[in-house]
Amino acid sequence: MYKYILESAGSINWMAISALITFVTVFLVSAIMAFRSPLGYLNKMSNLPLEDSILQTSEIDIRHEEK
Amino acid sequence: MAQVETFYYDNAIVRKFAYATMLWAVVGMLVGLIAAFQLIWPELNLGIPYTSFGRIRPLHTNAAIFAFVGNGIYMGVYYSLQRLLKTRMFSNALSNIHFWGWQSIIVMAAVTLPLGITSAKEYAELEWPIDIAIALVWVVFGINMFGTILKRRENHMYVAIWFYIATWITVTVLHIGNNIEIPVSATKSYNIFAGVQDALVQWWYGHNAVAFFLTTPYLGLMYYFLPKAANRPVYSYRLSIIHFWALIFIYIWAGPHHLLYTSLPDWAQSLGTVFSVMLIAPSWGGMLNGLLTLRGAWDRVRQDPVLKFMVVAITAYGMATFEGPMLSIKSVNAISHFTDWTIGHVHIGTLGWNGFLTFGILYWLIPRLFNTQLYSGKLANAHFWIGTLGIAFYAIPLYWAGWAQSLMWKEFTPDGFLKYGNFLETVTQIMPMYYIRALGGTLYFAGTLVMVYNLIATIRQGSFIGDEVAEAPARVATDGAHKGEHWHRWIERRPMQMLVGAAIAILIGGIIEISPMVMIESNIPKIASVKPYTPLELHGRDLYIREGCLGCHSQMVRPFRSETERYGEYSKSGEYIYDRPFLWGSKRTGPDLHREGGKYPDSWHYNHMVDPQSMSPGSIMPAYPWLLRDEMDLGTLPKKIKVLTMLGTPYPEGFEDQAVADLKKQASEVAKRLRADGVEDDKLEKRDIVALIAYLQRLGTDIKPKAATN
Repeated sequence: MYKYILESAGSINWMAISALITFVTVFLVSAIMAFRSPLGYLNKMSNLPLEDSILQTSEIDIRHEEK
Repeated sequence: MAQVETFYYDNAIVRKFAYATMLWAVVGMLVGLIAAFQLIWPELNLGIPYTSFGRIRPLHTNAAIFAFVGNGIYMGVYYSLQRLLKTRMFSNALSNIHFWGWQSIIVMAAVTLPLGITSAKEYAELEWPIDIAIALVWVVFGINMFGTILKRRENHMYVAIWFYIATWITVTVLHIGNNIEIPVSATKSYNIFAGVQDALVQWWYGHNAVAFFLTTPYLGLMYYFLPKAANRPVYSYRLSIIHFWALIFIYIWAGPHHLLYTSLPDWAQSLGTVFSVMLIAPSWGGMLNGLLTLRGAWDRVRQDPVLKFMVVAITAYGMATFEGPMLSIKSVNAISHFTDWTIGHVHIGTLGWNGFLTFGILYWLIPRLFNTQLYSGKLANAHFWIGTLGIAFYAIPLYWAGWAQSLMWKEFTPDGFLKYGNFLETVTQIMPMYYIRALGGTLYFAGTLVMVYNLIATIRQGSFIGDEVAEAPARVATDGAHKGEHWHRWIERRPMQMLVGAAIAILIGGIIEISPMVMIESNIPKIASVKPYTPLELHGRDLYIREGCLGCHSQMVRPFRSETERYGEYSKSGEYIYDRPFLWGSKRTGPDLHREGGKYPDSWHYNHMVDPQSMSPGSIMPAYPWLLRDEMDLGTLPKKIKVLTMLGTPYPEGFEDQAVADLKKQASEVAKRLRADGVEDDKLEKRDIVALIAYLQRLGTDIKPKAATN
């Protein structure tokens, strides 16, 4: 069945189109996701490599729920 | 408020991998240097089979990729993972099994490749028992990494860890997919895919070995160690999110750009080109994110050798990822492919990106592990400049050589004949570039030795901190997404979901590209006159594989007039259906051999193997005296025929029992022709050379049967 569908697709151009559509979807979703992230969260994440040891932290820092 | 816990980071495993990457850097580069000098002085292998170019070239590439860079990855991952997750590694035992297992694999590779035990698939040359060992050790690494993630104190996973997860799952898929093979013996196997299908699967693997072993883990290291060394956060965390998803999704599709103008169907070539060109966007996004992290800190780059190495590394990443998409455009690829341009391109990546980032990390890390200062900043600066000059002296001559040779291959006289009809003219022309390349390699190697000395002196003056104390609050377990929380941040707290997401992203490309090739027969039109190899030719083919001939000779005549004039009819996909593995090659240090059959008499090949320069003055091919000396080992021949029959090669029923007799019959015919031309050897029909000649004389003759009667 799968073979039949593929063969009947002729030049298989649909693969290139579906690839492009999938990529645009992945790109848009990741871009929307990145731009909707709150600043506090982004700051906290980008500072993670700089802290090897955390002596004090608050519940809010851990959960990142507050905007 | 969560309770603050005290724990210890495991630095011992980081130190082990750091020592290993330093050791294998020296070994891998030394082998590469020997190979570079052999291209100037072919006799430098000293007449020993184990040191011949064809065998040590894969040793160099494997050592550089899996030993030097591989250990560099683990060093960085084991250091950063613990600190980003605020926990010790999951298991000391697994860490040590991983370390010693990986070093054992490297040693096995270092023994088997010079012995000629190879599956002939670039960057996947190791035979099946070692492939299984790699898979087991990789799983151990995976369990240890995911175990550490699960016992973390930090809820969210920093972007570096996403890159590590994507690396792990993709390498798993690639390694298994490209190594599905049926064993003949402990040292020989045949791949289940043949010809064009094998080529597509191999370059899906080969390209993504570059992508997911040399790039994504190193991007993870960049996102951790660059902010660390600069003591400032990454420029844009938003950009890193887009960088990650776009990069891993696109990368997986780009493999067919290694096969442009070959017998691969056009639709697959086009997909490879389109996605390769698109790759420039996420790649440069990542590069800019790295460089802009240093915004406002460029004064420190002038002083700090660590940052200097990192800046050049990231710049080299940008150069290589600009050049890669350009080389994937068909009209550019028509010039670059099979030339030294490719070699220059990959060395910008390995010497610049992987090498310099590893050196930067080592200079930053070793003093911290040993609680001391770097022994000599001056020596580190000297290393930086020697290394940078080394890269320039390595790559620029090869770009020059690539252009020069390609243009010479393609040049016609006004009368319509090839201006440089003798391939050797195009080799001797670029020899000065090979000299300068060897100088560049020597400089880079010398710089590495300076670094090793500097780091050993640093280690000797310091005191190792095996268990580094740290404190962090206990993790507050969270079930499900919180109210008002963005869904992606929920994924970031769920390593398994991240694993599945990354796996889906990379599988889409692989499945869409590869499955039609495997499932639709019309993609590879059959040619009635193409027959399976005879047992003698098969044995000769396996010798061709053993000697690594494909390191210098392609078997793919592209549909250009300059190639059909030089070599003959362009190659058809149907001609390769019995080729396990495919041997198209990716570099023409010597001429293409796909239409070699019937071009010269048997005795020409015999004498050429005795002394290539006597038949082709100026040739840089080494002599192969052992092929004239060694007798054929036919112990596994019946099993080979049996395995190939099982895989679909249409040998007659029960042919495995007649294979040896068939081989001897054909060998005596070849020997008779050789004797008629004056070759003297009582045991000629038993020598390996006879099988190799039979294979070379068969090449490309199936579609011109009359020419085969040499």
